[in-house]
Amino acid sequence: MLRLALADLWHERVLFLCSALGCAAVLAPLIVLFGLRQGVVAGLRAELLEDPRAREIVSVVNRTLEPALFERLAADPRIAFVVPRTRALSATIVLENPERQGNGIRVELLPTAQDDPVLPGLSVLDQDELVLSATALQRLGLSVGDRVMASVARSRGREREVLTLPMRVGGVAPLAAAARDAAFATVPVLLLAEDFLDGTAPADARPASEAEARRRPFAGFRLHAARLEDVPALDREFRLAGIEVASRAEAVAGLLRLDRNLALLFVAIAGAGGAGYLVSLGVGLWAQVERKRRDLALLSLLGLKRRALLAMPLIQAAAVALAGAALAFGIAAAVATVLNRAFAGTVTGDRPVCLLNAFMAAGAAGVTLAGALVASLLAGLRAAAVAPAEGLAEG
Amino acid sequence: MTVLLSLRGLHKAYRGDAAPFALDVPAFDLAEGEALALAGPSGSGKSTLLMMLALATPPDAAEEFTFAGQDITRHWRAGRRDALAELRARCIGVVPQTGGLLPFLTVEGNIALTQRIADRPDAARVRALADELGIRAQLGKRPAALSVGQRQRVSIARALAHRPSLVLADEPTASVHPELADAVLALLKRECAAAGAALLVATHDPDRAARAGYPVLVCETHAPGADGIARSVFARAPLAEAA
Repeated sequence: MLRLALADLWHERVLFLCSALGCAAVLAPLIVLFGLRQGVVAGLRAELLEDPRAREIVSVVNRTLEPALFERLAADPRIAFVVPRTRALSATIVLENPERQGNGIRVELLPTAQDDPVLPGLSVLDQDELVLSATALQRLGLSVGDRVMASVARSRGREREVLTLPMRVGGVAPLAAAARDAAFATVPVLLLAEDFLDGTAPADARPASEAEARRRPFAGFRLHAARLEDVPALDREFRLAGIEVASRAEAVAGLLRLDRNLALLFVAIAGAGGAGYLVSLGVGLWAQVERKRRDLALLSLLGLKRRALLAMPLIQAAAVALAGAALAFGIAAAVATVLNRAFAGTVTGDRPVCLLNAFMAAGAAGVTLAGALVASLLAGLRAAAVAPAEGLAEG
Repeated sequence: MTVLLSLRGLHKAYRGDAAPFALDVPAFDLAEGEALALAGPSGSGKSTLLMMLALATPPDAAEEFTFAGQDITRHWRAGRRDALAELRARCIGVVPQTGGLLPFLTVEGNIALTQRIADRPDAARVRALADELGIRAQLGKRPAALSVGQRQRVSIARALAHRPSLVLADEPTASVHPELADAVLALLKRECAAAGAALLVATHDPDRAARAGYPVLVCETHAPGADGIARSVFARAPLAEAA
């Protein structure tokens, strides 16, 4: 049956080519459109994702946030990372290179914890380690692994007291994490600095354990959502709960809106185009079966069973559909190459504006095949119902 | 002689070219290997009878319709189309009026088609039939490149390729030159005899069939009666009255 069906196609190869081309002509623009949507959205999304700050939500007003809240945040599946922070005013520290005494610089002290998204590759930080911004590291003349003296000073009456902590440089923070002079430290270090400034800790105190520190209330937090999509919702929830936060919710919501709108646009165009495509494919195949009616009746008269008779239009439709889809994808890939070259570095940076992949190729082929098989099955059922007597009668 | 085909009290009504039409076959037997011409004017129901014998269309009613030992009426009533197709594929060869060749297959492919459908491949027989029928040189060509007479011979070869027990030919001479018509009839009879297949030829020309050595069964036609239905009767004395 396969040989018979393919012999027929080969015999009418010009017609076969026309059908496949007709199929490709409608399908190719749809694939390009889909590729554009994928490319533009994926490009913008990647740009946002590359910046760890995009998923960041920071509380901006000092409050007293109980440990229960942090436990709840840590358990929330939408939140990938959360670290508490102390009051902004008490979060500065003076750093000094022990080799160059007297050349201390004042830097912002930022909290961090294990698997901090803004410090990729620096998963574990000991309590005596600091991650410095590149600028601070350069000004201090230090490199990773060097010793560094961290100190906080307070005035008690007329007396000036200094808390000094001998630390090590655990790593360099990427520019995206801290543009200004800054040092990342574990939460107990921040807490100690705050306690010292508040006068509740002596000058010879040392950082508490992480678990101990986490039992205390904090002034604020910095968290990172698990997915970009979660940012707007989390942002809204905090504001509703009366916690003033800063995030890129606007930009993220904008991207999501664009994604949705492009998806809608695509569905509208693809719906109209796709429906037209399937109708034209179906009508073409139906006409082909009608044209073959006499041959099919003859084969039936010669004793071919219904199932085999039905296979003939199905095989032919599948061949047209697959050839058409392959052709369409080839055309779309060529168009995509031209588009990507023309738009290089404009809309989506150095990413392709039109993104095509094997998954889409399989999808296009699958939809086409399904449509073709349904259309030819209907036509084939009609043909198979043809009385075999038609094969004997004069046609 | 063994009976291959046996009909009793078969009736089929249909709408002919103009008037309603009824076909009756009170009794009709055909023995294995027997050749017979069915003669009647055009529109007398020869083709309809042939289609029923080809198991391609059901009778309206039949007391008995057996072919190759199988109860055909029962198959039709039970809707066993695949069983009928199987029987067509294995036991029946058909020569349509105009050849009915598939344009996309070569002559060889067309002849071998019945073998393929019956699952009895036999390339030697295809070549032997082509030799017999003088179309050996045409085996690699497409039907479109052949003359009408050659196409008719390809069709005869196809009807015999799978060694059927019955060959049905519907006006096989209608589309060929009169001189060729005698040759086609003689060829059909000779090949069927050689293959041991029974042969039924429908023709509107009983004299030509008789000249080619066929026993002829002429149909009785009755003009429309009070009910306005024209009747046509094919009756043949049963082969084995005793049985």
